[in-house]
Amino acid sequence: MKLTVEALRRALLATADAIEQQKDELTDLDREIGDGDHGINMSRGFQGVKKELEAQNSLTDLGELSKLVGMTLIKTVGGASGPLYGTAFVKFATKWKDKQSAEGEDLFAGFKEATEGIKSRGKSQVGQKTMVDIWEPFTAALQTDTSLEKVIDQALADTKAMVATKGRASYFGEETKAVQDPGALSSSILLKNIAEVLLHD
Amino acid sequence: MINLILVSHSEKLATGLKELLAEMVPSIEILVAAGLEDGKIGTEVSRIEQAFSRISDDALILTDIGSATMNAEMALELYTGKHTIRFVDVPLVEGSFLAAVLSGQGQQIDQIVTALEQEYLSKEKTN
Repeated sequence: MKLTVEALRRALLATADAIEQQKDELTDLDREIGDGDHGINMSRGFQGVKKELEAQNSLTDLGELSKLVGMTLIKTVGGASGPLYGTAFVKFATKWKDKQSAEGEDLFAGFKEATEGIKSRGKSQVGQKTMVDIWEPFTAALQTDTSLEKVIDQALADTKAMVATKGRASYFGEETKAVQDPGALSSSILLKNIAEVLLHD
Repeated sequence: MINLILVSHSEKLATGLKELLAEMVPSIEILVAAGLEDGKIGTEVSRIEQAFSRISDDALILTDIGSATMNAEMALELYTGKHTIRFVDVPLVEGSFLAAVLSGQGQQIDQIVTALEQEYLSKEKTN
């Protein structure tokens, strides 16, 4: 498994399209257990990323690309997702600085740093029904032979069954059980698209 | 005099609080980084950065909930200006009241942060 600049770029463009398709679903979930803006915010953010990527063809290293994406998300997404997703990409950039591709330990180190960044920014941990519950198992699976897509699907199912104890959803308590966390769903969309380029390139 | 930056999801909430604080300490400089365009509810990094660009002295940030705190911390990491800006995670209304009074008494940023932490963070939670 190897992540190149071109592959990450392709995964991000595919994510932008997928977010657009699932925009209403993300917003509806957020309306149930949050403030009802997740689809709108993620759409604005990833359309912003798409625009930046289409305008810049000269990016040659993963660090630069990740930083550009991170700063774009921080500026355009807003809410809690802006700093959380933005931090993830800014953290990729610190581990993938000057690298044209990442594989093995380098690939894992980037995702580990991003996951830790999300946890630290949100003061969250595994099991609180948040995006961390997707990022953490995905990152762990990079060091094993398990299918990344299966790991993401299992993580989504596990997260859905949890009761939220962090963020806006936590005020809804038991009502959050069996409702998917919108941040977990949007994370699964992004990570599935990254898994796709990792596995099939 | 230490400036206060109020970060809230609601512009009305933050401007209302600003009025309340100005009654206690008329000379206090308060910047509001709250809400989104068209009066919508939410927080964003760019509004907080705009507030940072308008401070006249060192400043203290106070936030309401969740993403206000995350966006404040994010903006702080990106800040490269000359003033010292500190964030302290204490209740917005009570915390800004104490901070305004201490700032009005001429206390410096570190003293105010310490006082707020002692008042709100060192006590056991009672709820």
